[in-house]
Amino acid sequence: MNGPRVFAAVLGKDLRLDLRSWDRLGPMAVFAALVMVLLSTALPTTSAASPGWIPALVWMVFLLTSLLGLGRSFQAESEQGTIVLLTQAPCDRGWVFLGKATANWLALLGVELWTAFLCWVLLDVEWGVAWPEILGVGLLGALGLAVVGTLLSALACAARFPVFLLPVLLFPLVLPVLVLASRMTGEALAGDQIASAMWVGLALYDWVFLLIAYFVFDYVLED
Amino acid sequence: MNVIETRQLEKRFGTVRALDRVSTTLPEGSTTLLRGPNGAGKTTLLRVLAALTRPTGGEVRVLGVNPFGADGAAQRSRLGYLGQETALYGELTLQENLEFYARLHGVDPDRIEFLIHELELEGVAGRRVQTLSLGYRRRAGLARARLTDPSLLLLDEPWNGLDAEASQQLTHWLEQHHKAGRSALVAAHSPSAGTGLFDAEIRLERGRLLGTES
Repeated sequence: MNGPRVFAAVLGKDLRLDLRSWDRLGPMAVFAALVMVLLSTALPTTSAASPGWIPALVWMVFLLTSLLGLGRSFQAESEQGTIVLLTQAPCDRGWVFLGKATANWLALLGVELWTAFLCWVLLDVEWGVAWPEILGVGLLGALGLAVVGTLLSALACAARFPVFLLPVLLFPLVLPVLVLASRMTGEALAGDQIASAMWVGLALYDWVFLLIAYFVFDYVLED
Repeated sequence: MNVIETRQLEKRFGTVRALDRVSTTLPEGSTTLLRGPNGAGKTTLLRVLAALTRPTGGEVRVLGVNPFGADGAAQRSRLGYLGQETALYGELTLQENLEFYARLHGVDPDRIEFLIHELELEGVAGRRVQTLSLGYRRRAGLARARLTDPSLLLLDEPWNGLDAEASQQLTHWLEQHHKAGRSALVAAHSPSAGTGLFDAEIRLERGRLLGTES
């Protein structure tokens, strides 16, 4: 069983690199803070107006921030030539994908927490009103972004202009995540019950793209 | 038994034929030079054999299996590939790079210590790779390629960036690899350091096989 071992090795290596260099997490954290500061000064802060559009705004900020980190996921491997090591892993290369996607997911969860903290401080968003639901939406939403973003990052690094290609491919594909997560966050903040169809929809999206990515990754890594 | 067999192997990049119907074999235990000018297709051939690039036509078998087939994945640990880039993470120390590769392939950590000692890398094992000179990085790359104790080595211009002492060391080690009955295919356009090492030569030009000499 080489697969789980490869998964653990890739995940451990990516986490170690993230925590050591802050090449990805640093710019993401600074970008999120700058955007939130700009928004807090430019937008009206009346609490009555906020619940309607704040969730969509937060998820847009999170999507743009995550783009910075997802793009680096395979670009750094490509620049250092280390993508060869991943391609030569002695197992189905889908396990490499799972390791990279999990590392990206954890990184995005960190950024999500940071963005939520900034929203609480700068925009007076009260996450505590329905934290279990918001936590669930955050986990599933970040997973969807990490799965699709990791796959597209690997595809884009083989292209001539990866910086442009990633957002062009990513935005349309993650639109369902953005719409569902924004609505679910809005309903949770308003104290409403989130419809179970939305939970199923978000989880299904994650699962389908996880399966697709696992099976096509063998071909994606070969140039 | 042949460790490498290609039949009418073809690789196109758009309209460019990087490999043009290359048919060749490499017997087990041989150390073969893959020779040709720049753009001859040496790197492409090595990358196809290492299952890094899928061919657009023909057949390929490495260590008895199709590297792109169902059995290919299990064979990857029996193959050591060192390209022109050393494939090391700059932010990790040399030791951490080797540990990562060892974990990927399920290699005993004792082998890391052995290779660090053999390639005289003890003094720099704890340093981040991005702070090492090109020569040390090439040596570290070689240690990485040898970590799994591979049956077949695929080396692309391995003497590039090595000083005289390290070049001799590499040549000596390739001799040991050969004496142990293992195989190697070494791409080089001027292998002055490895003269006398090879028992066969494959010549490529513009993606075509010009000939094989023993």
